[in-house]
Amino acid sequence: MSDIRFQCIKVEQLDDIHVVRFADDKVMDPARIEQLGGELQRLSDSSESPKVIINFSDVKFFSSAAINKLIVLEKRVRAKGGRMRLTNLRPEVRDLFGFTQLDSLFSIHDQQSDAVVELTTK
Amino acid sequence: MPADADWIWKIDQEIPSRAEVACGLIRDFVEKLEDAGWNEALVFAIHMALEESIMNAIKHGNANDESKLVRIVAGFTASLFQATVTDEGEGFNPADVADPTLDENLEITSGRGVMLIRQFMDDVEYSQGGRKILMRKHRG
Repeated sequence: MSDIRFQCIKVEQLDDIHVVRFADDKVMDPARIEQLGGELQRLSDSSESPKVIINFSDVKFFSSAAINKLIVLEKRVRAKGGRMRLTNLRPEVRDLFGFTQLDSLFSIHDQQSDAVVELTTK
Repeated sequence: MPADADWIWKIDQEIPSRAEVACGLIRDFVEKLEDAGWNEALVFAIHMALEESIMNAIKHGNANDESKLVRIVAGFTASLFQATVTDEGEGFNPADVADPTLDENLEITSGRGVMLIRQFMDDVEYSQGGRKILMRKHRG
């Protein structure tokens, strides 16, 4: 993990949990989103059974193209027997997941600490 | 349609079908909204509608053909945002787009733009065989 360099995401390690934040507050540029997809894939490939928290606290805008990269990541993590949680979404971004019904595909927590507890204890 | 004197900011631009050009235009427009004091929820909604409609026009309408143009007429008054986005593609029927909220479509990585525009805008109308979209959002 420590050898992996990212530009679109910032990754913090909490024991065996990868905590991911986005480098951009507005995740919208298609070229950056393609790069983001590649970085998330490398992150998921770095663990046998990845535990991933995506912390949205810095995110003011998130396009549907960016959501698509999270769907791909969620599938990949699930296929490897891992788990993924989304946290700290501002109300508008939370609405985005509600309108699209993707809050039934993703597990969403208000706070990162709640997700850490769940991924650590279950 | 607001009178010309009522527009606080208005653009009427034709851009090539290149995402980076569109991103710059959208960023500038969103900054104008923020400068005019529109709240975060409204700015997010308008940003979403512009992003999804213009990217749809480039990707699906004009098939990423840079020689084809996207015309964007967008502006806001003190109380209303309105925009039209027109491409040079084949057009489409919005009713034919699969519902992305159905369980069987949740994991599909496309087709959410049309639905999101409807969710975040107050009024949405398609014309010219689906090549032109009109969007409105009221403030307050």
